[in-house]
Amino acid sequence: MRKKKLRSLSQRQAFVGRLFVYPWLIGFLIFFAYPFIRSIIFAFSELDLTPFGLKLTFIGFKNFIKALQEDPTFIQYLTLEVTNTIVNIPLILMFSLFIAILLNQRFKGRAFIRAIFFLPVVVMSGALLYVLESNTMEQFYIGAQTGMAMSNSPFVRGIDFRMFLIQITGNIPFVRPLIDAINRIYEIIWKSGVQILIFLAGLQSIPSSLYEVASVEGATPWESFWKVTFPLLSPIILVNVVYTVIDSFTDYSNDVLRYILEVAFRRLQHGYSSAIAWLYFLILGTILLLLVIFISKRVFYISE
Amino acid sequence: MKERKVNRSFWGNLVISVVLTVVAVFMALPLVYSIMNAFKPLDELFLFPPRLFVRRPTLKNFSDLFYLMGTSFVPFSRYLFNSIFISFFGTLGHVLIASMAAYPLAKHKFPGSKFLFNLVIFSLMFSGYVTNIPRFIIMAKLRLLDSYLSLILPYIGATLGLFLMKQFMEQIPDSYIESARIDGANEFKIWWYVIMPNVKPAWLTLILFSFREIWNDTYTPSLYIHNEALKPFSLGLTYIQQGGFVRAGAGAAAAVLMLIPSIIIFIITQSNVVETMKSAGIKG
Repeated sequence: MRKKKLRSLSQRQAFVGRLFVYPWLIGFLIFFAYPFIRSIIFAFSELDLTPFGLKLTFIGFKNFIKALQEDPTFIQYLTLEVTNTIVNIPLILMFSLFIAILLNQRFKGRAFIRAIFFLPVVVMSGALLYVLESNTMEQFYIGAQTGMAMSNSPFVRGIDFRMFLIQITGNIPFVRPLIDAINRIYEIIWKSGVQILIFLAGLQSIPSSLYEVASVEGATPWESFWKVTFPLLSPIILVNVVYTVIDSFTDYSNDVLRYILEVAFRRLQHGYSSAIAWLYFLILGTILLLLVIFISKRVFYISE
Repeated sequence: MKERKVNRSFWGNLVISVVLTVVAVFMALPLVYSIMNAFKPLDELFLFPPRLFVRRPTLKNFSDLFYLMGTSFVPFSRYLFNSIFISFFGTLGHVLIASMAAYPLAKHKFPGSKFLFNLVIFSLMFSGYVTNIPRFIIMAKLRLLDSYLSLILPYIGATLGLFLMKQFMEQIPDSYIESARIDGANEFKIWWYVIMPNVKPAWLTLILFSFREIWNDTYTPSLYIHNEALKPFSLGLTYIQQGGFVRAGAGAAAAVLMLIPSIIIFIITQSNVVETMKSAGIKG
């Protein structure tokens, strides 16, 4: 401590700062940065698995050209996934903020209702989702075979509803993603569990003294929401936007990712798989970057 | 809009309760459905259209499952131990190291911190699936394949936790840190006694996420672990679920078993979150 005092404050802080970051940085470099760079190299090469190890042949932009010009499935999956995400983000955010604020109120049975809202957070992954999907799918196939088109299941019924909406609106391409979003309202509700949790944690970290001041000054609840809650919550909104984008782009049910995995492990075209993965993430990166720049200009930090 | 407004009208309360109840029912439905599935006899499982509630509840699915467990090559207690071990240390590493790194990133602004944080955001959107092959090669080079470490160590460099913790730490007023510094606390003490208690909701949330992710992960272990005795519970259960129509019942039961630890963690962290919320009101 004494020795450090000799240095300037900013130097000392920089030193301690780096010390805190190092353990994470080491893990990051080994398990993320290095594989990341390797995959760039893969994207520009043809990768062969030989008995003596990997054989890399540099082929330039061939993989990328193939993805954009020759591969019809990739472009199709990509546009579908991108439009879905762009429609979903605002819906998920508004819904989860709304629910988080309601859950932050005082009412009877709050603990119980809250617990139910976090269930998808706990449940929605891995094995259970797999079973849920495979069961309903099997049931659907069997049902279709026996000619029973009408369904009472909330999981299957949506299909008819979607066709109905498309027919009413006359199948305009622009309305299509919106219809899909309405159809996936269930999915949106279910996907916003984590966002609700993050928003709620954010709401709880807002000092209640600020609300007291606001009400003493004569602010209505509506005003104090926009003047206190919303600005103080803005860093959390940024977190949630980033989380939502990432979550939907890296979701295991994502068509593009499934395609990337299929190319890599079924067709064993590792180089091409890396290339389309890189294309996918460049597009995703641009979207995310635009969103982050747009929002961070409006984010309010309490320490400033 | 917050806790203070207790004297809300009766109708206001009613509207809130009704809206929340409707959405809550929606949210609970898949869970109820899958729990119900675990108690359905085979003919009811494949009924079309599917029914939410079970008609003739049976425990046969569970007895099938335990029979399958008993006849497996490796005892299921071993799978269970593996999973608990990996999930515990993976979560611990993720939460501790991410929050350590988040503190200077949020509060010190040392040279290069901004670049580092941009790197974190950049890496967040890069799905782990894509770097699988190079990462596998690294694991092989470090001789970590077929060891617990191959499943635990990557969480040390995890970026989600760092991002989450940094965002929350930024909300802490600088005056807290300054007053601690004046009182003679070193940086480690500030981090542990000032920063961490103030972001308790954040790291409890992170524990929940992280545990859930590691516990349910079947993909990573299937790549790195080939020794049957080191495989986690989730992988063991997947084998049962992949058994097809005949094993559908046991699979449904297995899914419910899989859920229990996550729900326990959830209950523990949840009650703590409520506690923190109460104290957060006084902190101001």
